[in-house]
Amino acid sequence: MKPGMLKTYLRVIKLAFIFTIKQAMTDAFVIFGIFVQPLIIAIMALFVLGEQGDEIAIFIVVGSGLTGLWDSVLFQSGSSITQERWTGTLEALVGMPTPLGVIVFGKNLAFVTQALGSMIASYTLASIIFGYPLSVESPMLFIISVILTVLSLVCLGLVLATLFVLNPDVQRWQNGLEFPVFILAGFLFPIAILPQWTTPLSYILAPYWAAVALHLSSSAKPGILEISTPWAMMALLGVIYLFLAFWLFKKMLFKARVEATLSGQ
Amino acid sequence: MNTIEVRDLRRIFKTTIGVVRRKIKEVVAVDGITFDVNRGELFGLLGPNGAGKTTTIKMLTTLLIPTGGTAKILGYDVVDQANAIRARIGFIFGGERGLYWRLSGIDNLRYFASLYHVDPAVTKKRIPQLLELVGLSDRGEEKVEGYSRGMKQRLHIARTLLHDPEILFLDEPTMGLDPVGGREIRQVIRNLQSEKKTILLTTHYMFEADALCERVAVIDRGRIVALDTPEALKHVVRDLAVIEIEVFGVPEKILNQIRKLPFVDTVSVEDLDQKQMLLVQSAKGPEAVPPLLASLDSVRVGKVSVREPTLEDAYVRLVGGNV
Repeated sequence: MKPGMLKTYLRVIKLAFIFTIKQAMTDAFVIFGIFVQPLIIAIMALFVLGEQGDEIAIFIVVGSGLTGLWDSVLFQSGSSITQERWTGTLEALVGMPTPLGVIVFGKNLAFVTQALGSMIASYTLASIIFGYPLSVESPMLFIISVILTVLSLVCLGLVLATLFVLNPDVQRWQNGLEFPVFILAGFLFPIAILPQWTTPLSYILAPYWAAVALHLSSSAKPGILEISTPWAMMALLGVIYLFLAFWLFKKMLFKARVEATLSGQ
Repeated sequence: MNTIEVRDLRRIFKTTIGVVRRKIKEVVAVDGITFDVNRGELFGLLGPNGAGKTTTIKMLTTLLIPTGGTAKILGYDVVDQANAIRARIGFIFGGERGLYWRLSGIDNLRYFASLYHVDPAVTKKRIPQLLELVGLSDRGEEKVEGYSRGMKQRLHIARTLLHDPEILFLDEPTMGLDPVGGREIRQVIRNLQSEKKTILLTTHYMFEADALCERVAVIDRGRIVALDTPEALKHVVRDLAVIEIEVFGVPEKILNQIRKLPFVDTVSVEDLDQKQMLLVQSAKGPEAVPPLLASLDSVRVGKVSVREPTLEDAYVRLVGGNV
């Protein structure tokens, strides 16, 4: 990378972030996926599990917020390249000196950050409407967990976005991937109740470690050693996803230039 | 060194046919074309739909990998040195797509400027200048979804000039525009020409090529059939006259009969709502009118006129009436 390019790329990420938020906030599907659906899940969970006590409420708030985050990664980040193709902007983006991966990183960061709004919406619902006295037990650890969650999910979104372009058959399973991850990542109940053979699948998912870190830091006061395991796993998986995405981007762009599929027409 | 060097460039597309027993079909879109474009030249690539113009421009802008041959932009290879080329060129493809409709014109330009690595201070100065250049100064704050087709096309041109590229690739920039919109775009292109930009323009409007281009390559079925100045190309038809006959529903059988007449050079038909315009090139000039009308005995005929050939007629002759 040439000197000064990092600054240039950071500026690209910043503007991709701002303009993606601007566009997404006028999209009804986005509003539903990020704000309405997590609220419905939170209401159902609060009715079903709420009698178990106040401490379960924060678990539900974080869990339903995580469902919004995963929806954002799966549907928005996963479709971020395909969407550019259908709007006819993909050719322009590929023909520019900025690597496409940097642009998509900025877009995915916007999608995931925006989805944090679902957690805030669930929090508001539980505390104001249901009247639970909600408090985050370890605020600093929670904030660090949120940051690592966002970064690892953005990297996972890069992998999904390229996979969905490289193989449209995979994208047909997009809807089918929504609930299995809710379950495998333990958003609303622990994975210990699942069959043992599913555990390795949970371990390679950043959303699982995100759920562990966020639940731990919001519902308890974990020791630094205890919380550092999910943090380290999120960091490690984030780096693995990033390398995988770098390789997939190169493969995808070459394939698109050979097969003439950049324009989507 | 030429700004653009194209040598024996080829591009084959593969498509599959059938569901159960799939077969791969190959379509040759560009079939070994060779040409150079000089620094500061406005070069036209002309041809009917499907001739290979857009495919050529996509290969030159690094968006498609050629099947064979080579292409160099400012000495850089379009396959192996794509990144070096991308910072130095600008391109637009015809049509309304390629912009973010839910953002304003200014936001679109700000975003694309960052992707072209234009310094923020320069961006701030350049955006109003470019909006002025393309006549959108008073509409820049509005969302693109409210723009007309011509306005979107002008915004595309502004977008492609953000990083002050050395070479511009304009693929049918006036396609689908009304006459006023088309004239405005041509004026913008003339302004760019006066700034000594190297421009490769594709169009199937002959008057546009005649008015703008210094040299023109006529492309048909993926091959270059002529390459010269518009004036020299007109010489191809200097011994011919064009007879225009307004007809109402002319059968293909009669057209084939006219094509076989010994004094007829080429025949083409333009659809005009309820009627068609039959364009016949012939060395006999007005003398060809009576035998032509005799051939059209069973067809309702409107106005008939004879005129001097234009570049469009040269083009029709070069592509054998394949328009």
